[in-house]
Amino acid sequence: MRFKKPLYYVLAAVLAVLIGLGIGYWTFGRQREVTDSGALVLHPPKPLPAFGLEADTRSPFTLASLHGHWSFLYFGYTHCPDVCPTTLADLGKMSTQLADLPAASRPTVYFISVDPKRDTPGVLARYLRYFNADFVGVSGAPDQLQLLTHALGVSFSYDPPDQSDNYSVEHSSVVFLINPEAEEAAVFTSPIVPLRMADDYRIILTQHGDR
Amino acid sequence: MPNRLKFLWLILLLLTGVAYAQGPSVSASHVWIREAPPGVDTLAAYLTLTNHTGETLTLSNVSSTDFNSVTVHRTLQNNGMDSMVAVPHLSIPAHQSVKLAPGGYHLMLMQPIKPLYDGDLVMLTFTFSDHSSLSIMAPVRRDAPQS
Repeated sequence: MRFKKPLYYVLAAVLAVLIGLGIGYWTFGRQREVTDSGALVLHPPKPLPAFGLEADTRSPFTLASLHGHWSFLYFGYTHCPDVCPTTLADLGKMSTQLADLPAASRPTVYFISVDPKRDTPGVLARYLRYFNADFVGVSGAPDQLQLLTHALGVSFSYDPPDQSDNYSVEHSSVVFLINPEAEEAAVFTSPIVPLRMADDYRIILTQHGDR
Repeated sequence: MPNRLKFLWLILLLLTGVAYAQGPSVSASHVWIREAPPGVDTLAAYLTLTNHTGETLTLSNVSSTDFNSVTVHRTLQNNGMDSMVAVPHLSIPAHQSVKLAPGGYHLMLMQPIKPLYDGDLVMLTFTFSDHSSLSIMAPVRRDAPQS
C-alpha cells in the first residue's frame, strides 16, 4: 500500500495537466489559429455590424453586399505611394492564383478608402481597375466608414498637410477575409506573399465547406 | 601663356585624375520607379545605395528634372499600422548598402512634369555629404522586378 500512494499522485498530476491542456485548448487554441502566411483565422468568425457606404460603381455598399460570397477587405488611400500599390499588386497576383476556382468560390477584393475626401467613387474606379478589372473601390461618409473600421479594429489618422496641401494617412496594413455569412473570418498581416495567401484561402474555403 | 597659368592647368589636370581614379563614393543598383495608377501624382522610387568610402555618408539632396519634389520617406509599421515619415538625412554607413524597397525606405517623387508610363526613364541626381553626386537613369515599371 505504501507504494500505491505516489502512483496516485502521479496519476493525479497527469490528469491535472491533461485537464489544463484541455482548458487551454478550449479557451485559447480554438480562438485563433495561425497559418503559414501569418494569417489569423477566427474561430468562431466575428459578425459585422450594419453600415452604409458606396461602391465605385455608384451602387450602395452595405453589409448585404458582403453576403453570399468571399471578400477581401483592404483599407488604404489612393495618394499612398508605397504600401497601398504594393499590397494591391500583391492582391492582384493572389487573385490570379485563384483563377481556377469556380466563380462562386473566388473572392472579391474591396479597397476601402480611409480618405473619402479625395477618393471619390470616380477616382477609386479608375485607380482600382488599373490593378484588376474585378477590384472594387469603396468610400462614403466618415461616420459610416467608422462603423466598419471599429468593428474590424482598423484605425487611421491624418498627418498634417504640406505646403501643396498634400497629406498622408496612417492606416492599418492588414487585409481581412470576410466569409459568405458577412463575418470576419481571417486577418492577413503584411507583407503579403501572394502564393501563400492563395493557399491559405483554399484551406479556409475547404474548412468552411466542412462546417 | 604665363608660367603661373600653365602651373594652374597642371594642378587642375592632376586633381581631375585623382577624382577619376578615386571612383564614385556611392553607387546605385536595383533601381526602379513604380508606375502611378490613373489619377495619382505621387510615385515611389526604389533602389540600393552602396557607400564605397571608409566614412559614413549622408544623402543631402535628391532631385529630378521630371519632378518638382523628391524626398526620402520611410514606411513604418507599428501594431499593424502603417505610417510614413520623412527622412531628411539618410545615412549610408562606410562600405555598406542601404536598401530602399517597398514597405520601407523609398524616394517619394511628387508633382511630375509630365505623365510617366512603364518603360520611361527618369533621371535622378543624388548629392552626398562629401559633396559627391551621382546621376542615374531609373526605369518606370508597372510591376516590381523579380529579385
